[in-house]
Amino acid sequence: MSERLRNQRLLALFAAGWGLLNFPLLTLWDRAGTLAGIPLLPLALFGGWALLIGLAAWVAEAPGDE
Amino acid sequence: MLSAPLVLAASFAYLLMLFGVAHWADRRARAGRSVIGNAWVYTLSMGVYCTAWTYFGSIGRAASSGLWFLPIYLGPTLAMLLAGSLLRKMIRIARTYRITSIADFIASRYGKSRTLAALVTLIALVGILPYVALQLKAIASGLTVLTGTHGGSGPWWSDSTLYIALALAGFTVAFGTRHLDTSERHEGMVAAIAFESVVKLLAFLAIGMFVCWGLFDGPGDIFARAAAQPALSGLSGLGGESKFAGGQWFALTLLAMLSVIFLPRQFQVMVVENVDERHVQRATWAFPAYLLLINLFVLPIALGGLLHFGVGGADPETFVLSLPLANGQSLLALVAFIGGLSAATGMVIVEAIAVSTMVSNDLVMPLLLRLRHRASSDLSGVPLAVRRVVIVALLLLGYLYFRVAGEAYALVSIGLISFAAVAQFAPALLGGMYWKGGTRAGALAGLLAGFALWSWTLLLPSIAKSGWLAIGFLTDGPFGIALLRPEQLLGLSGLDSLTHALLWSLLANAGLYVAVSLARAPSAREATQALLFVDVFQRSAGAPVFWRGRARLAELQQLATRFLGAEPAQRLFADYARRAGLAGVERIAPDAQLVQHVETQLAGAIGSASARAVMASVVEEEPLAPEDILRMLDEASQVRALNRQLESLDRLKDDFMSSVTHELRTPLTSIRAFAELMRDDPEMATEQRQQFLGLVVGEAERLSRLVNQVLDMAKIESGHAEWRNDQIDLCELIAHAVQTTAEVFRERGAVVSVQQPESVPTLHADRDRLLQVLLNLLSNAAKFVPAGSGRVEVRLTVDARAAQVEVADNGPGVPVDQQQLVFEKFRQGGDAANRPQGTGLGLPISRQIVEHFGGRMWLRSEPGRGACFAFELPWTRQQEETGA
Repeated sequence: MSERLRNQRLLALFAAGWGLLNFPLLTLWDRAGTLAGIPLLPLALFGGWALLIGLAAWVAEAPGDE
Repeated sequence: MLSAPLVLAASFAYLLMLFGVAHWADRRARAGRSVIGNAWVYTLSMGVYCTAWTYFGSIGRAASSGLWFLPIYLGPTLAMLLAGSLLRKMIRIARTYRITSIADFIASRYGKSRTLAALVTLIALVGILPYVALQLKAIASGLTVLTGTHGGSGPWWSDSTLYIALALAGFTVAFGTRHLDTSERHEGMVAAIAFESVVKLLAFLAIGMFVCWGLFDGPGDIFARAAAQPALSGLSGLGGESKFAGGQWFALTLLAMLSVIFLPRQFQVMVVENVDERHVQRATWAFPAYLLLINLFVLPIALGGLLHFGVGGADPETFVLSLPLANGQSLLALVAFIGGLSAATGMVIVEAIAVSTMVSNDLVMPLLLRLRHRASSDLSGVPLAVRRVVIVALLLLGYLYFRVAGEAYALVSIGLISFAAVAQFAPALLGGMYWKGGTRAGALAGLLAGFALWSWTLLLPSIAKSGWLAIGFLTDGPFGIALLRPEQLLGLSGLDSLTHALLWSLLANAGLYVAVSLARAPSAREATQALLFVDVFQRSAGAPVFWRGRARLAELQQLATRFLGAEPAQRLFADYARRAGLAGVERIAPDAQLVQHVETQLAGAIGSASARAVMASVVEEEPLAPEDILRMLDEASQVRALNRQLESLDRLKDDFMSSVTHELRTPLTSIRAFAELMRDDPEMATEQRQQFLGLVVGEAERLSRLVNQVLDMAKIESGHAEWRNDQIDLCELIAHAVQTTAEVFRERGAVVSVQQPESVPTLHADRDRLLQVLLNLLSNAAKFVPAGSGRVEVRLTVDARAAQVEVADNGPGVPVDQQQLVFEKFRQGGDAANRPQGTGLGLPISRQIVEHFGGRMWLRSEPGRGACFAFELPWTRQQEETGA
């Protein structure tokens, strides 16, 4: 993968992160209800965050052709 | 409760351990086995972002407003996604121009302005000092909770926080001011910081697990119990859709995003201490992962503490200490305290190094230089001494600040005020990296406006709220002017004070930066620096040197000695001479290249703005005009192009050499093999011996043909070949060539036919060379025609412009993908198995000859339908030549 493509993918993740972890999408999770005892909002925030990190790791560590 | 001596002993033992780690890493570095040249260590060192503010303050914030502690860590996560492009560019710029602080970075970009450097340093200092005080306060309150004695209340000399501050100053001086050149890395310090990041993470996770599973029945249990209490149920949410302050969430995320790049300590570990640009890639995700881990238990600990002590029962900011203590886990409480200590000390150490570099280079050195401007005294020890004094002073000031004002603020608000201060660097710095139009005046105007608005809307209100100022100007505005109320500037209301301050300060900052920059064209110096920064990736090799003037070698040497010391200065010039391939230092020409080199080296020691100033004092400079810059850029790009050309020529030469040796080896090997066979078998039949000798002779002939052709080729290519100017009758020449090769064609059983017009004008060229071309094409055709049924046609056509000769055969033809290759050296047609004997130089030489006379040579072939080699020679060229 070229550095250019890698940086573009990270940029796309950046945009996705802004959208997912911000107003107003965040309010979607601000409701009653729990999953495995954890309220939805903290779960969504940490889950979305972890997902973002996972994707970033996948993109950043993919072998490059530098 | 734990006894005070025990806690202090543990604290100082921990600090001693830090010394040990740093010392070990420094020793390893000197032995050439650096421990910090590793992407994981780089990532961990970034963890210095998490200070006591994270460790204690996040829980306090979570206990009062739930998930609102998170944007401070989501921002850096998002920022790191841009690190691949943004951070790498910063690192490259800093490394190329030996930039060692954020003040230096901004000042250097806008023409190495001393004013700008001083302003940035001042903003950083004002913004950071409370932050350092906050760390000391965290240590003091931790001690208070653990030992039950009040930390900051006794006489100053009995306060253990003071001694911890002094120990930190000692550590920072010992490991942060090793080298005069600040662009050199502080190996020991970075290793210690990475170690601290591990300690605080593990300690915090230990407390989190203890609270979740030791005190409660898992996180689910905590959330369930919290949900049952009306006072706590709101903390795991945002307060409902209607009440969610999206703007504030956005502002906090943005603020944290900017801070993680622009805080002096982050700049230090991420940019200055970076060993390898590629480490950024790992940090892109691993640093966010670190942040996620350290925040995982914040909410459970906050809720657990509130459930355990009841709302208002204990200070939430010290839950990590009070929860284990209240449950008889004093050892765990001590571990938690050490974790907090590591968070606080890490921040203080790195911040002190970063700020001391700025204060020394951009505030103190310029003053010293002004005072001792004419003196040629040795100043090489001064920058280090200044840095050491600044570090101790900073720690003591931080301590003083904490003693005087420490009780006034909550931890979180101090941190955010600092963040908002350094966020003011964003427009000038980011703009400077990506926009060439930004000017010094624009940056100054933006920074001043941003700083002023930050002070008015954030700093002064917080001072007033802690009772140090009359609160009247907050509620009614200064002199009763309601429009100027700090927290509702121009009547803007509905925002919390931080978002309000950030909006106004960044708006004014960015707006003025752009507007003032656009008001006039950049000066030559600004324009050159802009080019060097914005296009840093295009200019790392063969960078243009924007300088013109006169310098004397002796003066430059004297200058370097004055600031770097005698021995390093000598080494600098000796290295320079060696790299330039000069016999000795005295041979160095004091040109622009050297001036720039010395200035860059000085920049590492005293900052680029000061380096520029002292350089200007010893050399005669001529101001550059915009046209000069364009010309210098042009020259630089020409040099780059020439370099590239040289490189490719070099590669061609290598290819050529390896092909030649390969081609020479093949006949040599067979000659040697046959000769050995005959030597080893004296009884060999005469017939066979004759046959072998025939082969040896054939191979030897091929060898000499090859050598001749290589020499020929070399002559033609180097332009040393001699060309005669004969009058040539092409018909006669073709007839001659056909006759010469007739024997070969007869052997192959092939027929040659010639078509030519009645009369052909005389051609002016080298007859022997043209014959060589024709013979070459004919013998090539002879090799490829099918045995017994070969047909070769030679066609001559003429028109007003040129003569054209075609040699067509009925052989197998040349595959399309090889048609261009046959004209390259040592590329022979046909596949390796049935390739006829040849040197692989015939066609390239022929083409060179034809091109020498202004013609061209080409091949037309369809596989299976024969090949047709053709060349044309124009008449005009000869007319020009004869006319001349």
